[in-house]
Amino acid sequence: MTTCGAVVGGRSIENVDISKQAVIQGVVQKSGAPVSVGYVRLLDRNDEFVAEVPVSQKGEFRFFAAAGSWNIVTLVPGGSARQPVTANLGQITDVDVLVG
Amino acid sequence: MSRKDVLVDAQWALAHLDDPKVVFIEVDEDTAIYETNHIRNAIRLDWKNELQDPVRRDFINKEGFEKLLSAKGVKSDDTVVLYGGNNNWFAAYAYWYFKLYGHGDVRLLDGGRKKWELDGLELVSGEVTRPATSYVAKDQDRSLRAFRDDVLKAIGVQNLVDVRSPDEYAGRLLAPAHLPQEGGQIGGHIPTAANIPWSKAANDDGTFKSEDELKAIYSAAGVDFSKDTIAYCRIGERSAFSWFVLKELIGVKNVRNYDGSWTEYGSLVGVPVAVGDEPGTA
Repeated sequence: MTTCGAVVGGRSIENVDISKQAVIQGVVQKSGAPVSVGYVRLLDRNDEFVAEVPVSQKGEFRFFAAAGSWNIVTLVPGGSARQPVTANLGQITDVDVLVG
Repeated sequence: MSRKDVLVDAQWALAHLDDPKVVFIEVDEDTAIYETNHIRNAIRLDWKNELQDPVRRDFINKEGFEKLLSAKGVKSDDTVVLYGGNNNWFAAYAYWYFKLYGHGDVRLLDGGRKKWELDGLELVSGEVTRPATSYVAKDQDRSLRAFRDDVLKAIGVQNLVDVRSPDEYAGRLLAPAHLPQEGGQIGGHIPTAANIPWSKAANDDGTFKSEDELKAIYSAAGVDFSKDTIAYCRIGERSAFSWFVLKELIGVKNVRNYDGSWTEYGSLVGVPVAVGDEPGTA
């Protein structure tokens, strides 16, 4: 049984058939460098919470969404960011998140 | 039961980190997080390897729970403060589990690991051990736990609360979006279940909303507080979070968590299933 929990940086895509996934992934940066503490939240088209992952030590995150429009909301100590993203089935969409 | 009996904030936690009668326990799915760092003096509990039966899909029994907590150094009359990642999902699951076995004083750290990290509070590394105890558990309190037959009888009769995301409820996703979409079960929800995602009860920093806000959210979604209630999600830990909200914060009577949840129900042969954004009919 796979648990529902989010692991740091998001689940690995190793051994995952990408043709059946709509992957959204990226790196969170602040002041030009990846953050090591932060939380990235995926919201649906109605701004409803869908998932959240803590970033990895290198600021990385990953979601396995459905095809469509999403919003990425990022929280780091002392800052936040929000940006829209479109995911497509069978593709990995890379997002760079810059937190002010 | 009031909010102060079941929730602690960082100020309270910091004042009790060295209190011998208070045991801080971190519960994460990914135990590597604890190995990286944790709140000082906190021990860890492994959600999967320690709380689940190693063979069948069920919990460890009473004797197993007693053995586990004795080895962890927890006493039956200790105040247990649980916290973890994922907005306290697994900590809330452990809270429900501790209550299932009758532990008296259990509390959650409001906001869990996320708020603690975002607030820049101290985290330390190194495994924490406590002297062994002789923990005594009570028989499992079945009034807190629903099984599949209870759920089938509740369709159209009791409050069924599906706490997954709207896309999982509708059948568009089979798992939370941080997981690969490869569920063995079909998509959809239990007919007549209201969709009240667990996240509606939480602020962005992972803390719980006020009781008045929580009551308004559940009422607006059609929950009749005079009826018995069963909460479910995919495997029962997000619904443990919502069980905590309903039972411990709002004070609703007769709330059960269906830990079989959608991974069980969505695999059953011959049961009714609703798809789409509406609850459906009995």
